[in-house]
Amino acid sequence: MSIMDHNGGSVIAMVGKDCVAIASDLRLGNQALGISSNFQRIFPVTDRIYLGLPGLATDVATLHERLRFRLNMYTIKEEREIEPETFAHLVSSTLYEHRFGPYFIEPVMAGMSKTPSGGLKPFIAATDLIGCLNFAKDFVVAGTASSKLYGVAEGLWEPDLEPEDLFETISQTLMNAVDRDAFSGWGGIVHVITKDKVITRTLKARMD
Amino acid sequence: MAADTTAARSIVKMKVDEDKIKTLSPHLLMAYSGEPGDTVQFAEYVERNIRLYQIRNLYALRPSAAASWIRRSLAESLRSRRPYSVNLLLGGYDTATHDPHLYWIDYLGTISEVPFAAHGYGSYFALSLLDRGPLEEGLATLKRCIDEVSKRLVVSPGNYKIKVVDKDGVREVEL
Amino acid sequence: MATPNVYRSPGFDFTNEIRNSFLVEKGLPLPKATSTGTTIVGCLFKDGIVLGADTRATEGPIVADKNCEKIHYITESIRCCGAGTAADTEFTTALISSNMELHALQTGRKPRVVTAMTMLKQMLFRYQGNIGAALVLGGVDSTGPHLFTIHPHGSTDKLPYVTMGSGSLAAMAVFESGWKPNMEREDALNLVKAAIAAGIFNDLGSGSNIDACIITASHTEMLRNVEMPNERVQKEKDYKFRRGTTAWKKEDVRKFVVDEQLTLIGGDEMDTS
Repeated sequence: MSIMDHNGGSVIAMVGKDCVAIASDLRLGNQALGISSNFQRIFPVTDRIYLGLPGLATDVATLHERLRFRLNMYTIKEEREIEPETFAHLVSSTLYEHRFGPYFIEPVMAGMSKTPSGGLKPFIAATDLIGCLNFAKDFVVAGTASSKLYGVAEGLWEPDLEPEDLFETISQTLMNAVDRDAFSGWGGIVHVITKDKVITRTLKARMD
Repeated sequence: MAADTTAARSIVKMKVDEDKIKTLSPHLLMAYSGEPGDTVQFAEYVERNIRLYQIRNLYALRPSAAASWIRRSLAESLRSRRPYSVNLLLGGYDTATHDPHLYWIDYLGTISEVPFAAHGYGSYFALSLLDRGPLEEGLATLKRCIDEVSKRLVVSPGNYKIKVVDKDGVREVEL
Repeated sequence: MATPNVYRSPGFDFTNEIRNSFLVEKGLPLPKATSTGTTIVGCLFKDGIVLGADTRATEGPIVADKNCEKIHYITESIRCCGAGTAADTEFTTALISSNMELHALQTGRKPRVVTAMTMLKQMLFRYQGNIGAALVLGGVDSTGPHLFTIHPHGSTDKLPYVTMGSGSLAAMAVFESGWKPNMEREDALNLVKAAIAAGIFNDLGSGSNIDACIITASHTEMLRNVEMPNERVQKEKDYKFRRGTTAWKKEDVRKFVVDEQLTLIGGDEMDTS
């Protein structure tokens, strides 16, 4: 069994119509033993960017600390909030710095990025554990249930979902995929980011 | 918070009154287990540093801050040539917000705030019991956990030390 | 962790190495990174170079990205296709691209393809194959069109037509039967398309669409997704869930606009009569 599967956990992000959603399960395990059913692995970065860190739990904490530091340095130097695309490259270069001795994390990002005309457009991205970026147009997945999430998301996702419909689609995708993964589950959390608000919902999920 | 009091080496019990719960500050307790030697060394290192903070700043670290510091120490140790192999439970009462906190920390630097936690072989019994048990009756539930471990675990330890931390500070209790 | 100095030194950070080998000793194998099991090609024609690539990125047996870009920008008239470890090709080409720009600025000349090739091979040789980038480098400079392959250990070849990646055999078969010296632009592009298509359909590591790039002395044309032979058809039914299907326990809504007040500018009240 790989180090990536030691603590379990999965994250998925999806694009909707003028909105994005990012969701994760809440399990923290020690191999097969469940430790916590309220382990948060999705963190707000700015008002409009959320970051999911599935993988080894010690690195979830360490990498979160590190990225928070680098983000603060960026914000102080630039005197403005970071854009999602820029943040994705910040994450990517942080991970590639550790190319030979990586953090066991496959980050997933979701946010709304500014367009030149002043509007907002949905943005999602994911990287592998050494920082190879993947800017998808539809959805990105990572974690122990990633292979299952790919399949379910491929079937359920469709373009231009309204925030409430996107919530249903991402929640059902997450819950049905993690039900087929022994290392993910034990509750779920969904964040839907729209132009003017963020809706966070804790799901009523299977607890086995 | 409870921990057995056995210090064993291979198959021999060397000592039966070892205190494995350190009082880090007036409202903070840390129970530890893991590789003999590492455990005491690391626990004393943490104890002295938390004390130093208190002397310098005239107030103790709050539980969440202490937990973060201890986690970071373990994570850094893990990146050294001889890492500490210590698992911890950190329990404390936050005198600023008046609420209790419990943290599950392992030697990898994994941290999680939880309503109940356990380390070691006993955890397989204790956690499933705590999943059902009423957490309002803390000591009674804790006693059921210890009884269960004594009954079912082949290598069950004999004695336990139990400590409580609340708004009045730390005290040891007998069951 | 964070060094006392906020400006970290450039280059790789090996702080996790001890820990990771410690974890490997405990019997937990290291995971694999995304690799682009790829078909990338390049060929010479009358006025320049045509580069081609598929668009599939894989993670073991899983297709991680169905439409990624493997033709990387080096300079305006030099491009580089990457195969191997995806992150390595991405970062290596980005680094060399930066250095080529600086080099161009310093010398005040259009940079040459051999310069990029030398920079790449020296970097890859320095890392002894640990940076898993297999590249096809092509471009046109003052000395004419040039096409190179660069292997992860730093060896290079200069050939009129080249292929790399897991689909290289399929693609090379097409080149061997179809390539001629002094081909026309259209014929060269069609040959490259056919070579990539051979990779896409015969190699499991390659798939999805065809990217191509035509570089001539005067102009570079990036043809992103020139062919899309594997487009997904419209779903016949949708699988939208009825709103309220998912049960949830707790909701927290954070509104960015808390209060809004409109003040009309202009002084006079609007005439509503």
